[in-house]
Amino acid sequence: MDRVLATHVGSLVRPQPVRELRAAITRGEEVDEAAYEQALADAVAEVVRMQAEAGIDVVDDGEMSKDSWITYLYERVRGIEQRLVPLDGMDLLPPSRDRQAFPEFYAEHDAELARAMENRVRVGGGDAEAPTAEAKLWFCTGPVEYDGSAVERDIARLRTALAGVEVEDAFLPVVAPASVYWLRNEHYASEEELVFALADALHDEYAAIVEAGFLLQVDDAVLMHEYDSILSLGGSVEDYRRWAKLRVEALNHALAGIPEERVRYHVCFGSWHGPHAYDPPLADVVDLILEVNARFYLIEQANPRHEHEWRLWETVALPEGKVLVPGVVTHHTNVVEHPELVAERLVRLAGLVGRERVMAGTDCGFAQASPVQRVHPSIQWAKLEALAEGARIATRQLWGRTAA
Amino acid sequence: MTDRILTTHVGALQRPPEAEAALLGEAPPEALADAVAGVVRKQVEAGIDVVNDGEFGKSIWQWYVTERLGGIERAEHARPPLRGRDRLAFPAFYAYAQETPDVLFHGSDRAFWAAIASRPVCVGPIVYEPAAVQRDIANLKAAVEGVEVADVFMPAVAPASAEVDMGNEHYATQEELLWALADALAEEYRLIVEAGFLLQVDDAWIPALWDHDPGLDVETYRAYCRARVEALNHALAGIPEEGVRYHLCWGSWHGPHATDIPLAEIVDLMLSVNAGTYLVEAANVRHEHEYHLWESVRLPDGKKLAPGVVSHSTNLIEHPELVAERIVRFAERVGRENVLASTDCGMGSRIHPELGWAKLATLAEGARIATGRLWRAG
Repeated sequence: MDRVLATHVGSLVRPQPVRELRAAITRGEEVDEAAYEQALADAVAEVVRMQAEAGIDVVDDGEMSKDSWITYLYERVRGIEQRLVPLDGMDLLPPSRDRQAFPEFYAEHDAELARAMENRVRVGGGDAEAPTAEAKLWFCTGPVEYDGSAVERDIARLRTALAGVEVEDAFLPVVAPASVYWLRNEHYASEEELVFALADALHDEYAAIVEAGFLLQVDDAVLMHEYDSILSLGGSVEDYRRWAKLRVEALNHALAGIPEERVRYHVCFGSWHGPHAYDPPLADVVDLILEVNARFYLIEQANPRHEHEWRLWETVALPEGKVLVPGVVTHHTNVVEHPELVAERLVRLAGLVGRERVMAGTDCGFAQASPVQRVHPSIQWAKLEALAEGARIATRQLWGRTAA
Repeated sequence: MTDRILTTHVGALQRPPEAEAALLGEAPPEALADAVAGVVRKQVEAGIDVVNDGEFGKSIWQWYVTERLGGIERAEHARPPLRGRDRLAFPAFYAYAQETPDVLFHGSDRAFWAAIASRPVCVGPIVYEPAAVQRDIANLKAAVEGVEVADVFMPAVAPASAEVDMGNEHYATQEELLWALADALAEEYRLIVEAGFLLQVDDAWIPALWDHDPGLDVETYRAYCRARVEALNHALAGIPEEGVRYHLCWGSWHGPHATDIPLAEIVDLMLSVNAGTYLVEAANVRHEHEYHLWESVRLPDGKKLAPGVVSHSTNLIEHPELVAERIVRFAERVGRENVLASTDCGMGSRIHPELGWAKLATLAEGARIATGRLWRAG
């Protein structure tokens, strides 16, 4: 490759019809399956076309079919059921030292989140008195077993959408074993057994995606932000690393037999707009990340908590054949990145790891769940355009000529 | 001669409810004085060297002055106050922001919002009434007594930024109104300087006017701005340059800012203001790359630059290492003794106060790291 390619982390803001139908499904209402399928097909076609128009080289389906990047899995696995449980003051977001340090900010943040979720229940004229989805938790009550029909539909929709556009490649995001969150174990004898059972189930999904010819992107934000969670609950860094190592092992187990060059691995520190003042330094966790059998590593680097970490690659060697995909635009501000800043971020990293081993990415997705939008969709697209423009500028600077 | 990177900020900090009540006449004036004392203490605790009163005595940064002027009445806005190129480029976002709380700004400070709910109209000769600035000066003087700080500043608006969207039913021309504002503001400036404070002149409307008026071409816009800088320098006449800070930003609302005019187009205008220190946005993703400008533009001798190294435009707390990196790259271009570490714009009514304070603390921490790097060898 003789230029800096542009991609992103995966989730995009859902068009309104998808949002409304998906909210109805989550509320447990009857939804016309054909109408929902059509809405998804339209949405995937639209976001693929818009990614191509924005100048994104490696595109995806925007995660249109997923209720959230984590919980989509629970709808594809037998042995997991959803049950209504009182929230009892439990926070949806993980516990953290960040929450302890900024209590008033998080009180306001959580109230806004609750309002957004309440609105969601009302979407499409639903009953405002209905229990919110967030009062439901998932329980593993039997052996987990993967049902491939949903991912086959994802694959088919993306394939159809790609027929009309010219792009370099396409990817489908999936969840990593570590990020299987909000799931309580009532079946397996140990946490370890559950994690590996999930890895076995996920292997089927991973394999189906790669066999379909797409890049597989494994999303693993929880692997990073559990650091702050464990420490906030009195645990030690060693406790965290023990927790994390088991899950990285499980992920590599799930990836067994899948060619590394078709695997992208994304970590981030949680996409909510909090202070993130207690995120682990990348230096403390980078060895865990690099242990994952992937070729591409997508890591936050465009927000002010992690931007300085590009320098880590002065001392940490990126293993042979691997590619870094730093965030060069972020969902953490409404301000649209200047393409010159995007280019600078790419060029300085290329100076450390080599121009062939850098791609332009985003910090995280723009819509981690169907009702969520981290920035307004018009800003999302402007950021992807700035990303692509910055990658072109970087290409000119790094190759000394205009990209073909 | 300073041997470290000093820290400061742009001015507005989150007004506590007691101060808001005092400003609205619902609480005794002592509540305002107490709040100013408190905010000075908090700045010192955060590690800020050059402090202010958080602008607690001002309803809003630009039109507060119209509450201190004779000859002004309030009227309905003639045109929507929020308009411009960015709104034309992102209509769906701005429509969404209109109906969703806390997108463009943060909080509900009533004095702030009341000040822009209508517009000032000049209906008679402009006369400056010093009572409010005298109160602010007294509050700040009392607040800094016995507190160890490197210096103290007080913000005031530039004539150009008070003028935007103001009505004129009295003066024969817009220029006459501008110069009358300059004469009035000259009195405020003088009182601040005579009190022994640094004067900070806020002029966000200079960069933001480009956005505000989509009909302007660059030359017309620059000619308009040049006349405003001239009026400002008239207002600053007789004030020693080293006692003046001049602040530019592109408007602090949380919008895309994708149509902001590049600093390169206006840096000469900025440098023609008779100030000793220039405070300009450099910490947000639209303007961060502009530090490179100082490779080709020379900062005149004796002048200082106070770039934003933390921003109100994101909730994330800047990592001190990033703050240090930003400071060092400015120091490499304009000289370490000519750089102060500052904010993009005010924090008040922009971001949750807990985050605003954390950003000032990380600014100070980053400045300590940068000092270590920049003076270690020398």
